[in-house]
Amino acid sequence: MNEAWRYFLLFFGATLVANILLIRFIALCPFFGVSGSLETSLGMSISVVFVMVMATSVSWVAWNYILEPLGVGEFLYIPAFILIIASLVQFVEMVIKKTSQPLYRAMGIYLPLITTNCAVLAAATESVKPGFFTKLNIAYHYGFIESVVYTLGVAVGFSIVLIIFAAMRERLDLAPVPKFFRGIPIAFITAALFSLAFMGFAGMFGL
Amino acid sequence: MDWSLIWKAAIALAGFGALLGAILAIASKRFHVEVDPRVEEVLDALPGSNCGACGLPGCEPAAEAIVRGEAAVTVCKAGGPDVAAEVARIMGVEVDSTVPLVAHIHCRGGATLSPIRAVYQGVNSCRAAEIAMGGGKACPYGCLCLEDCATVCPVNAITFDEDCVRRVNVKKCTGCGLCADVCPRDLIEMVPAPATVFVRCKCQYTGKKALSVCKVACIGCKRCKKVCSEDAIHVDNGFATIDYEKCTNCGECAMACPTDSIQIWVVDDEHPEGGEFVVPEGKKQRRGGTGDDSGETTAAIEIASPGETPE
Repeated sequence: MNEAWRYFLLFFGATLVANILLIRFIALCPFFGVSGSLETSLGMSISVVFVMVMATSVSWVAWNYILEPLGVGEFLYIPAFILIIASLVQFVEMVIKKTSQPLYRAMGIYLPLITTNCAVLAAATESVKPGFFTKLNIAYHYGFIESVVYTLGVAVGFSIVLIIFAAMRERLDLAPVPKFFRGIPIAFITAALFSLAFMGFAGMFGL
Repeated sequence: MDWSLIWKAAIALAGFGALLGAILAIASKRFHVEVDPRVEEVLDALPGSNCGACGLPGCEPAAEAIVRGEAAVTVCKAGGPDVAAEVARIMGVEVDSTVPLVAHIHCRGGATLSPIRAVYQGVNSCRAAEIAMGGGKACPYGCLCLEDCATVCPVNAITFDEDCVRRVNVKKCTGCGLCADVCPRDLIEMVPAPATVFVRCKCQYTGKKALSVCKVACIGCKRCKKVCSEDAIHVDNGFATIDYEKCTNCGECAMACPTDSIQIWVVDDEHPEGGEFVVPEGKKQRRGGTGDDSGETTAAIEIASPGETPE
């Protein structure tokens, strides 16, 4: 298996085959919370891609150079990664506020939401303890580039699904839905059907 | 049990905490952005519902605009005079006491008073119906009854019953004007809250043509204009409008209106919803008179003298 193909499989697997929202059902809170309108879901998606990649990079370094050598990673990774992600988001928010007002206006209100977004923790955790792609024979130790590619895949998968789902919900608002199904109930049903559709990716390229 | 593991864990986590805390502390100094403290105060004074009625994206941009002097201290319509006074106090300026506004829907024809000419089965929205050949209502100027205004109202002040009788709860209405923006037929006007006399029609048809599409249409007869002692009523485009800067709420026009399209809004304790439209007391009911909006009448409509109709 050559390098480029492996990166592609990693990315493709994280994006579609094991989609974080529809196949693994992680981060369902923002999935339903900010999918009300296309505009907010776009802002959220950009922020998630940005934060996830940064958080994973820092977490990978922390795991490989601090937690793992000390032998405490196995039980300390959750508090350590949460600490890293929360501080990182705060830090990024400050920097953006200082350096770029337009970017802050576009992303600013979503950044605090991402602090406690479990998808970010999941991506960071899996980049150091991958449990999903055992068939790729890189079961336990992603290199730095691999973990970034994997995280990018997770984030892009999150974004694609969030944006498509927001577009669907905007159409659903105008659809003749029975009154008691309006809003979140019909969104749940739609998400379930959407998830079924995504199961069609299972097994592609042997993933 | 390996006790060294506990020490290592404690040191690692404490180290992380100290390092990240230090980075954040430095960053908060290094990347500190000067914010006018009044922005925070103004933001606290504003309602915080981000309704957007001020024309700005939300309460925080509104607070910034107020502090920069780009927006008036009275910019928050939803908050009303209380919020304006509080904001003015923070900003250290005097505030003119503004009259609060409430929404009024200039159409009275519900399902029973105004006939339909077709059954509309499209997207359930007034704006969509207006595009699709003007919906099902016979009157091309009247309320489409698909409740866009009620949907957009942030405080649920507008209600429709099954006969499409609309009701604005003036106690809930904050005067934000979102409903007025959304109505495709421009039927909603923001009127001063003390006003009690309303022309409940914007039909541009006159005389019998108006009555053929709605039993309670304004037929453009100009009787209201004649009885008005303040010159507050004008009849243009086939319907009467009241100038609330001149109107004294005397109700003479409602007495004179032959089709009961001018009515009086009565606010009292019997109407917890904020009030009700009535025909003035002592007015001689015309044949088939329709005092209430349910339109429980079978009598044929007949206008005594439409001779004063223009054209």
